[in-house]
Amino acid sequence: MHWSVQIISCALAAFFFALLLNQPRKTMLFSALFAGLGYGIFLLLGQSTLGYFCATLFIGVACEICARLMKKISTLFITSALIPLVPGVGLYRTMRYLVQGEYHMAISCGTDTLMGICAIALGITISSVLFANIRKRERTVS
Amino acid sequence: MADMNVMLDAVCLAARLTLENGGETYRAEDTVEHMCKGFGISHADVLALPTGLMVTISEKDGCTAHTRLIRVRKRDTNLSRLDDCNAVSRQVARGEMSAEDALKKLKEIQNAPVPKLLWQVLFGALSAAFFCVMLGGAAEDFIVAFLCGLLIHCVLPLLGRCHVPGMLGGLFAGFLTAQLTLICNTIYPIHLEPAISGAILPLLSGLATTNAIRDTIKGDLVSGSARISEAVLTAALLAVGICIALSMWEGRI
Repeated sequence: MHWSVQIISCALAAFFFALLLNQPRKTMLFSALFAGLGYGIFLLLGQSTLGYFCATLFIGVACEICARLMKKISTLFITSALIPLVPGVGLYRTMRYLVQGEYHMAISCGTDTLMGICAIALGITISSVLFANIRKRERTVS
Repeated sequence: MADMNVMLDAVCLAARLTLENGGETYRAEDTVEHMCKGFGISHADVLALPTGLMVTISEKDGCTAHTRLIRVRKRDTNLSRLDDCNAVSRQVARGEMSAEDALKKLKEIQNAPVPKLLWQVLFGALSAAFFCVMLGGAAEDFIVAFLCGLLIHCVLPLLGRCHVPGMLGGLFAGFLTAQLTLICNTIYPIHLEPAISGAILPLLSGLATTNAIRDTIKGDLVSGSARISEAVLTAALLAVGICIALSMWEGRI
């Protein structure tokens, strides 16, 4: 599968997911764009834990900037932009190994999935804390 | 100054809409604090949880305090509503809207029509199908994931109408997805992994997990741990659903 097909379908999937969540129309294109770019970073870094972290950090920062510029809340952008990174394959693989009785593989796969989720959480936390501090500093200055 | 009760009504409704439509708990608390500042209320305390909300306001120290306790039972994601609600709270915070107007506007938002089910089903199915391609699925996997998406997004609202708890819905969804994919696999060989994972991806509350961890790190321990347990249970039930279906076909996959 060529990487460009994956990135484009990622953006389309995020777009339809945004429609499913009834996201405001103006914000949908940005979410889809960031989702695609974020997934590109994830693929570039070899689908590793570091990839999860960097892609999430990029999506988080891009969404926070966009939210500040459009004077909307960042949740609107992040919800659908982040969904392609959720390790669904990892969860499925873990389950399949469990059913087949390959417990060693299940544990290793499950740990990878958990690490991915933690990396995503760390990335999004860092970006949101970063921007929360900037906002507070602006307020005290003005 | 306007009536305290009207103000409290407006503030509570705004926070409630935020919680019901996919806003985080800290956002609901921020909404209350900003709106109270806009109304000129100096003393406001709020505690928002994923399942409830408590607000107390008083004009100054020693004055009669007004308190309201609100139970939040419905937890959906409707980002347009969240956005509208936030727009109202911003206007109030800037002092551009009175309590009566804000309450009227928020009630309009609360009663706004929800999106048509048919479109929701279609969008859910399309996003599942494209997630499948994203995970490396081919054309035949795309079609199967689309069918799974259609099935899931038809069944979930039906279960909701029969008052089946939302978490059990995940169990059924996981089971049905895996079952349908495996049936399709006997008719025409497909790639199971992208098809199943793509179809369940929109249901996995990835954002819930990340929000939960973020809440906990920020110090909102109660809502953080409540959301972590919700996210873990949702994922586990979905996985168990898939697991049951897979074990029924053991030896043939």
